Amino acid sequence: MAIGISGYAAYIPKLRIKKEEYAKAWGSFAAAGVAEKSVMGFDEDVLTSAAKVSKRALESVPMPPEKVSGFALASTAAPYVEKLLSGTVIVSVGIPGTAFCTDHTSSTRAGTEAMISALEHMMANSSNRAVVACADAPTASMWDSLEHPMGAGAAAFVLSNEDLIAEVEAYACSASEYLGERFKPKGDEMLHDLNVKKYEEGSLLTNTLKSGNAILKMLNRKPEEYQHVVIQQPDARVPSTVAARMGFTDVQLVAGLVSKSVGDLGAASTAVGLAAALDAAKMGDKIMVISYGSGAASDALSLKVVSDRKSAFKVQAELDRKEYIDYIKYLKIKGAIV
Amino acid sequence: MAHVSVPMYWRTIPQRYKMIGQKCKKCGHVNFPPKGVCKYCSASSDFEELKLSGLGKVHTFVLISAGGAPPEFADQEKAGGQYPVAIVELAEGPKVIGQIADADPKEVKIGMPVRTELRRIYSEEGVIRYGFKFVPAEGK
Amino acid sequence: MKKVALVGAGQSKYGDFPDKGIKELFLEAYKDMVASVDRGYDPKMIESAYIGNLGSGGFQLGNMSALVSEYVGLPHINTMRIENACASGGYALVAAVMDVMSGTHKAALAGGVEKMTDVSGMKQKYWLGVSGDTEYERLAGTTFAGLYALIAQRHMHEFGTKREHLSMVAVKNHKNGAQNPKAQFQREITMEQALKGPIVAAPLNLFDCCSTTDGASAVLVVDADIAKQFTDTPVYVAGFGTASDYLAIHDRVSTVTLEGTKKASAQAYAMAGMAAKDIQAAEVHDCFTIAELLAYEDLGFCEKGKAGQFIEEGHTQIGGDKPVNASGGLKSKGHPIGSTGTGQAYEMFNQLRGTVQKPTRQVKGAEIGLIHNVGGSGGTVAVTILRR
Repeated sequence: MAIGISGYAAYIPKLRIKKEEYAKAWGSFAAAGVAEKSVMGFDEDVLTSAAKVSKRALESVPMPPEKVSGFALASTAAPYVEKLLSGTVIVSVGIPGTAFCTDHTSSTRAGTEAMISALEHMMANSSNRAVVACADAPTASMWDSLEHPMGAGAAAFVLSNEDLIAEVEAYACSASEYLGERFKPKGDEMLHDLNVKKYEEGSLLTNTLKSGNAILKMLNRKPEEYQHVVIQQPDARVPSTVAARMGFTDVQLVAGLVSKSVGDLGAASTAVGLAAALDAAKMGDKIMVISYGSGAASDALSLKVVSDRKSAFKVQAELDRKEYIDYIKYLKIKGAIV
Repeated sequence: MAHVSVPMYWRTIPQRYKMIGQKCKKCGHVNFPPKGVCKYCSASSDFEELKLSGLGKVHTFVLISAGGAPPEFADQEKAGGQYPVAIVELAEGPKVIGQIADADPKEVKIGMPVRTELRRIYSEEGVIRYGFKFVPAEGK
Repeated sequence: MKKVALVGAGQSKYGDFPDKGIKELFLEAYKDMVASVDRGYDPKMIESAYIGNLGSGGFQLGNMSALVSEYVGLPHINTMRIENACASGGYALVAAVMDVMSGTHKAALAGGVEKMTDVSGMKQKYWLGVSGDTEYERLAGTTFAGLYALIAQRHMHEFGTKREHLSMVAVKNHKNGAQNPKAQFQREITMEQALKGPIVAAPLNLFDCCSTTDGASAVLVVDADIAKQFTDTPVYVAGFGTASDYLAIHDRVSTVTLEGTKKASAQAYAMAGMAAKDIQAAEVHDCFTIAELLAYEDLGFCEKGKAGQFIEEGHTQIGGDKPVNASGGLKSKGHPIGSTGTGQAYEMFNQLRGTVQKPTRQVKGAEIGLIHNVGGSGGTVAVTILRR
């Protein structure tokens, strides 16, 4: 029996800051291809955003939360290093305490990790139903150019074996050891990146090409058979770098390339990109998703669109609902002025 | 700090996260937040749980500036300016106070439709307290 | 039931006094009360003390009434702390009156004391914030200013009350308080200043809000049968009433009425065999300007919704037909929470005997006065009617 997505939804917080604000403050904006990015409100965080998109995704099926038997949450910016994160979300959404819930956190690959974890839950029993919620708002020091692309956003997916919008055809993973790329040691508030560029690019390409090519081989497909390709977006240029090496074109990237408007969504990057691709996709389209998280790992998933049904909470509507803030307000909201 | 203890806060999670109210079995009115004895008939402690929709209308409101903000909301006011707080008449009948988020304070009006959403309320002793705030209901 | 009279009343200065704690403040009020008893009295006659207090000065959480009673030389009496937030003093007076009325004791002290300025700003806000409904009202991001602002906003919406009406209360009370040597703020303000104050909780600005402060007061309550031993001009308790209400404003039937005030004053009028029209002077609980407007309505001085018009027409000025807060009110005097209610009794004691300090704010010929003390946003209310 086919398993896949029967509902999905995105949420982008409405506050936005333009690259020009950064340029005024720092002289330049170090986020290739990003024109503006989203900012979490003062009283929001990744858990409130996850609750919001999970409810939206369930409503878009519609499915009552009581039917959910598995819940997977992904974020690199959770408010606690130790404390069950899913608890806050499932209680707010109404998912029963008997559901198997998992927290996925340690890199920006967590989003697809959560998706695969939920898929495996689905495969265990045909009556299982799962929700995957990816919500992120990565942070780094204001002094660090690493901070420039960091945005905020969330997307959730309902997994089922009926009323599908898109089937998951296959998934593949690549994990490895790459120390000293983007990392945050215990007790440290801020992300670090040692900026050893060629080395880091090596990790990115090694892992994404492994997982992506494994799919192509598994399904005996060529890159051009995919209508949409969603690749991890730490900025708006990295996807092109990976795509070029795999034989995908920039045209295939268009629908999922949200980072130019929202920045780096961390563990929610591929999730929101996938939601955008689903919004644009037609019946029969194939979608490739390739994530990447430092340290390092990559997951690839292949999906086939089997319905014209769309979410009621489209990514474009989220992008269009915005309010610009200046850099000072940005710093205040992020608690960066000490 | 408001000094609401962790267990005290935790006891209100059904209301704060899920809008669980009590429908009086005797008179049928909905109490929210909960009371020991029904507020409307003063005669019964027999209730059935009812999950409220979270929809309502603004009955009255205030715009809180720095001087009017309790310490646990001082940083929020400093970062984001004046914030609105309203008494909202919920669709099921009871009225309850709550902050309005995601709204331009100038646009808050009596009669404005709102709905609840989970938000960070404040943090005390390193523990984040989540709960409902109201956001404008764009006719949905 | 015995009849009850006040034969002495005293009050400390209200203000910010780093050199005085609750003991010292209470002593100041007590000595002032002793001096006011025309023929003196023997301290041994006081058998009870009811002391209104919210925060115990920040340290003496339990038994603060024993502490201040023995400090003023009353170590072995029936003493208890009365707490109903800002109505503590008003309820302390009622408790003392009921004690003597019942015949249990012949003489009781009703007092109040508060020390607000020793503690940090954060702690002050905590004390005040938890006298409303903490769980919902406080955690929605309001202090009392916010709660009264919710009432003001709705009052303006339902009745067309204007921003200027709120400021009229502030201007009047500052004008009166400028003539009160014991008030914290003895300075008049203009209408323009009152209108343009920095916003605290819109629509309320800085001049719509009273200031909590330090202070103490004490009144001597005796069996009316023995009153004339102490003075030719005792002030009798004609009636009193107390009533509570839902703590959270959202739980109340009407957002623009304090049921506690309505019910308490109805009881007081009934006990006194009087009506609102009989009241010749009143000290009401103007913690915020809107609160004074509500008091006009809920005490029956004017119809619901007409308070704006009532103050605009000048009825509540000294010299008007219903002078309210000739003392300057909480607005100008300051609000030492536990003391405010008995401080109102101190003022009315002097008004009714013609002994007000600075005769410019004497309500001429007043023989029947009403004092009105509200806890928080109306959770508790005590009303007492005094007469010559």
